[in-house]
Amino acid sequence: MSSMQRSNTMAKAVSFRWAPDFAAIQQVLVQRVLPPVVIIALLGILWELLCSSPGAVLPPPSQVLRDTWELIVNPFYNHGGNDVGMAWQILASLERVAYGYSLAVVAGIALGVLVGQSTWAMRGLDPVFQVLRTVPPLAWLPISLAGFQDSTPSAIFVIFITAIWPIIINTSVGIRNIPEDYRNVARVLRLNGMEYFTRIMLPAAAPYIFSGLRIGVGLSWLAIVAAEMLIGGVGIGFFIWDAWNASMISDIILALVYVGIVGFVLDRMVAFIGSWVTRGTAQG
Amino acid sequence: MNKTNKGNPVLDRRRFLQQTAGVVGGTALLSSLPLSWAVASGRPETTSAKLGFIALTDAAPLFVAVEKGFFAAHGMTDVEVLKQSSWGTTRDNLVLGSQRNGIDGAHILTPMPYLMSAGAITPNNRPVPMSVLARLNLNGQCISVGNEHADLKVRLDTSEFAEAIAAKRSGGDAVNAAMTFPGGTHDMWIRYWMAAGGIDPNRDISTITVPPPQMVANMRVGSMDTFCVCEPWNHQLINQGIGYTANTTGEIWNDHPEKAFALRSDYVEANPNAAMALLKAIMEAQMWCEDPANHEEMAQICSRRRWIHAPYADLIDRIQGNFDYGTGLVIEDHPQMMRYWKNQASYPFKSHDLWFLTENKRWGYLPQDFDSQALIEQVNREDLWREAAAALGIDSADIPDSTSRGVETFFDGKTFDPEDPQAYLDSLEIKRLA
Repeated sequence: MSSMQRSNTMAKAVSFRWAPDFAAIQQVLVQRVLPPVVIIALLGILWELLCSSPGAVLPPPSQVLRDTWELIVNPFYNHGGNDVGMAWQILASLERVAYGYSLAVVAGIALGVLVGQSTWAMRGLDPVFQVLRTVPPLAWLPISLAGFQDSTPSAIFVIFITAIWPIIINTSVGIRNIPEDYRNVARVLRLNGMEYFTRIMLPAAAPYIFSGLRIGVGLSWLAIVAAEMLIGGVGIGFFIWDAWNASMISDIILALVYVGIVGFVLDRMVAFIGSWVTRGTAQG
Repeated sequence: MNKTNKGNPVLDRRRFLQQTAGVVGGTALLSSLPLSWAVASGRPETTSAKLGFIALTDAAPLFVAVEKGFFAAHGMTDVEVLKQSSWGTTRDNLVLGSQRNGIDGAHILTPMPYLMSAGAITPNNRPVPMSVLARLNLNGQCISVGNEHADLKVRLDTSEFAEAIAAKRSGGDAVNAAMTFPGGTHDMWIRYWMAAGGIDPNRDISTITVPPPQMVANMRVGSMDTFCVCEPWNHQLINQGIGYTANTTGEIWNDHPEKAFALRSDYVEANPNAAMALLKAIMEAQMWCEDPANHEEMAQICSRRRWIHAPYADLIDRIQGNFDYGTGLVIEDHPQMMRYWKNQASYPFKSHDLWFLTENKRWGYLPQDFDSQALIEQVNREDLWREAAAALGIDSADIPDSTSRGVETFFDGKTFDPEDPQAYLDSLEIKRLA
């Protein structure tokens, strides 16, 4: 819930920016932008100090910038093969994640509702879920490959199967935690199945579902390296693997920064949709 | 849809047989005709092929065939040469084929197309028929040893190394030897080298599979004592001060066969002219790679992000044949440097494939009664190589008379006679027959 409140203040901060109130903008800058900038600068200086000695095992940030400068300033170049700019690498990966994650959302919520509604299904499926959710993404790759006999659906399946578990589990917990009062109200009002689903179940479970969706989107982005190991070509996951192959530590660090930022943006997007959806249904 | 799919290969095979018969009959005629005529006669059925590679210097002919336009010159304008993350994924993508978003062919460890055709390394042991069209190189791999054993300065004789690891093992520490794929060439070299000095690679040391990129990092944290892999990892190990080069594998077996150029057999059957065009382009690229005048440009091509993506400085030395072993020993212009064309490097000798299958039997990867000859007749397409050589007008000195290079001699004096592989197996003390 605290994250939701934080998102709400974020939303307010965004609306402030539209007013020509410079004092407010300044306040936002000082309160919201300054702390992370200061911390990042301090960490950067610490890293630089720790790694600038001659025998350092990791490159300092100044060297990372020097090594990767061409990649940073030309995000859209294309030299053929998988030698393309970081923007293309990230877009290619985002496309794969979009497919895998969308499927996980649909299947995860459906299974979560089933497990949340039916005690028998819960008893049957829960142990299966608890075991399968611990399987690392990499282990799914050969299995999906043997099953699908095609590399593209296999990669998407790896993302799907990594992202689905928190969605199922959170949805089922949310459904099971619908207050008894709500169920009684539904009985009093004689809501039919469809009405119960849209008017009671989804709004009541939405905060849980969206926390599952947020964990899921983070995991699906994490699975990208495993998913792209096989298909190779263009993609940030294969870029990391390739940089590792060539022991280009600076490239890996740059990729980690991009992966982190994209993951952060994805998380914020799902959180924003979550706060928007839950408020919308509550008002409706 | 199934019907048309089933119908085409049959038709294609018939057409292929007719054409092959014609070409074989006219080989003498062909070689006297200009190149352009030969190309025009066999217009490729498709202009596309997807070929995989691992970022190693022995894949250079594939890079060069793209960069210098050899594929395009033979009408293969849409060849994609795609980086694979490990030998395991090369295998997986070959099993799929390009129609299911995999690859049609690859730069590959010579035993792998055999193990795939035999179903030994494929899912559910389902055979995936493969064809070896050419050898890509001779020599050029290295065995490295960690600095923990720096005072031994291990070279070819492993008897002192055997005592060192036995002592380490009795102290309760794990000892590991790493290679890149079970049954692959690196596995064969490191096992042969250890066994020759009395180390049983199954009992005295754990022989483990580690992808090439992890070799240096794993040795740094002390999780392995020795490994066998291609460049640039051995050189990088020295540059990082973690270990040294014990030997380059040509010193174990002079001019030993290494990587192969292999295609899925269904690709060759459906596109005989395209397969021939690919083969010719790769042979021309191999000749280009062999020429010392091209070595600097080749190292520059290799260093690009799209190909090996390693610093030029790490690549050029051993491409030019200058080996610094990291122990004070330096050999310039090494007699066992990597060969792409010289010494009949490109021709896929059947006798060499037989050694790999025999050595796979030695370590129990294949059963003892496995019919090696039958599989070689199916997988080895030296007939296509000869056809391509004739069409390219190759000097007859570079074309072997026989499919066998004859008796091979190893550094420890053991010999392998392709006429009698069993005698070779019997002559070896350490083995694990299945």
